[in-house]
Amino acid sequence: MPFSAKDTTVYRADAQVDGKLLKAQQREELAKRYLPSPPSSPDARRKRSNATSETSRFGVRKLLRQQLYALSYALIHIIFSFYIRVRIAYHTVSLGIVSILKYHHRTPEYIQRDVQSLPKKPKHVSVILTLEDGGKRGDAKDRLLNEVAEITAWCASAGISLLTVYEKTGVLKDKMEREHREISKRLQDWFGRYQAPDLHLHSPNMRVISPSNYRGPKLRHGAMPAGVQAVGVNFISCEDGRESVVDLTRVLTDMSQRGKISVNDITTDVIDEELRQVLNEPDLLISFSPYVDLQGFPPWQIRLTEIYCQEDNQGVGYQVFLNALRKYSSATFKLGK
Amino acid sequence: MADLSRWLLTSPPVEWALKGARELLIGTLRQGPIPQHVAFEMDGNRRFAKNHHMEAIEGHNLGFEALARVLEICYKCGVKVVTVYAFSIENFNRPKSEVGGLMKMAKIKLEQLCQHGALLDRYGACIRVLGERDLIPPDVLPYVDRAVEMTKHNKNAVLNICFPYTSRAEMTAAIKATVEEFSAPPTPPATPFSQARITQKIKSNQLKRTDSVPSRDPSPDPHARSDVDDSVSSTTTLNPDSPRHTPKDKAQVNEYKDKETITAETVTGHMYTADCPPLDIFVRTSGVRRLSDFMLWQCHEDAHIFFLNCFWPEFDLWHFVPVLLEWQWRQKQMGREARPGRRVKAE
Repeated sequence: MPFSAKDTTVYRADAQVDGKLLKAQQREELAKRYLPSPPSSPDARRKRSNATSETSRFGVRKLLRQQLYALSYALIHIIFSFYIRVRIAYHTVSLGIVSILKYHHRTPEYIQRDVQSLPKKPKHVSVILTLEDGGKRGDAKDRLLNEVAEITAWCASAGISLLTVYEKTGVLKDKMEREHREISKRLQDWFGRYQAPDLHLHSPNMRVISPSNYRGPKLRHGAMPAGVQAVGVNFISCEDGRESVVDLTRVLTDMSQRGKISVNDITTDVIDEELRQVLNEPDLLISFSPYVDLQGFPPWQIRLTEIYCQEDNQGVGYQVFLNALRKYSSATFKLGK
Repeated sequence: MADLSRWLLTSPPVEWALKGARELLIGTLRQGPIPQHVAFEMDGNRRFAKNHHMEAIEGHNLGFEALARVLEICYKCGVKVVTVYAFSIENFNRPKSEVGGLMKMAKIKLEQLCQHGALLDRYGACIRVLGERDLIPPDVLPYVDRAVEMTKHNKNAVLNICFPYTSRAEMTAAIKATVEEFSAPPTPPATPFSQARITQKIKSNQLKRTDSVPSRDPSPDPHARSDVDDSVSSTTTLNPDSPRHTPKDKAQVNEYKDKETITAETVTGHMYTADCPPLDIFVRTSGVRRLSDFMLWQCHEDAHIFFLNCFWPEFDLWHFVPVLLEWQWRQKQMGREARPGRRVKAE
């Protein structure tokens, strides 16, 4: 229990002079009143059971207290679930209204205008997407792809050149050629056939899929001042998370068993260098679920990543994306300081 | 006005009523599912001090009081493991006076803790210090060891103090320990068999193998000869509290353990928190929405991350209750979605 005001003053005076004011004995006296009763040793328990059999009042009191707790638990949870439903409704409605009023009309210029005022933009954004209903429904993957294409277009318009899409099951990793076609088409819808940025699709351990006529970075003068000329999309799944660390450990073990390295050669830099091949540390991670749930996102790489999650939001929305960028630009970075 | 409300809040009857309310709340929360492992990133001590025109170290002192409050709430609710981020390796970059002040504070608090060993037992909590032991200043280290030693026998609850810690360093240590486990030469059985004979046998086996593995350690003798030393040196890189290597498979005598058997669980088993239940709740105060190198491996799945806007010295039951309630509510929702609940109801 919290100290009473008087005892707090005594304690703070003592702490002020580094504990020289009070003797151990006095401090013990100070704390004793607030401590729970000593843990019941078998001896004490026997004594107590004797006591309860003598005076049953204690048992009644305990029972009543238990009932009181159960009652207030039920009550608190009724109130809380009411509160949370209201909160969810409020957030859904307000987000809905804002996204109607501030709709981007699938025009890159609108998005550019939205992000123009931000002093700082992330270079590498990562999103966590989920396959709806665990992928049982046939069109779940198409919806997911639609979301990816949409987010890619937002990123390209906002001037973010690298997007990492985390999807737990890894469905996005197969048929990447088709996905490349789909997303490119979306970008062309948004930007126009010849102004669309080049799309590079990749995934760890796979070859980068670039536009078929791609010959190094093109120079386009004045086409898109704030936009990007190329956008990279990286698909990762849960096997790039903890599993990749395990894989690395296997490789290191193999090398160590062959005597190529000694255990002390393994340092944070070495591991970091290797895990960078899987994923570079993103600047911003956007979760589109109602609460922050990493779902197995690569652990090594989220060390300093700003995590954004719109409370009670369900599903991908432009407003969430924009709010995340706003939040990111207002955050301060001061590692360890 | 502020004076009046302070006078009112510190008057004995109000104090008594508040105490009763807290008791009731904690008793109430115990009725539902209780997280087994909670981690706190105690952020915002300095900003709090700055806002209140105090010295940074005073902010840390208040932060310590907040920690004591939170620990009490957690253990009374029935949380088994509390992990707190006390000091990051990166924190050594702070001004020298502040680092010195923090270290002095740690020393004094640990010293006081050791003086009141008996009182500590009432909570039944044992203290563990996780992190890079080599980086603890030599004048603080004996107190750390004593506090850990004194509370070792308590089994009800665990307090993990992460002190010089970063998660990447932890993962590196775990990977190293795993590699070491799998590339250590097999241990001779602990029976009165002659060591010389075993050395001989291992030598001949290695000779047999040389054609298949040419680049192996040219002198197998030091490995085979001083196995005891080997296991000791391997644990020095680890925290003394983390569990020792699992006993090696006796069947595979002169072969290395198969590296393909390394799984995420193997690596988890070498983390500092190996024997703790999985992380349920991660709380970071002061509105920063980053993990900042704390519990990266443990947060990975099923951990509910809460970013709160209050500063750590302000943190109290009233901030923690909404977190717990929301967690309990989500737990119930998940149970409703036909997924068998992971947590059993605390008795």
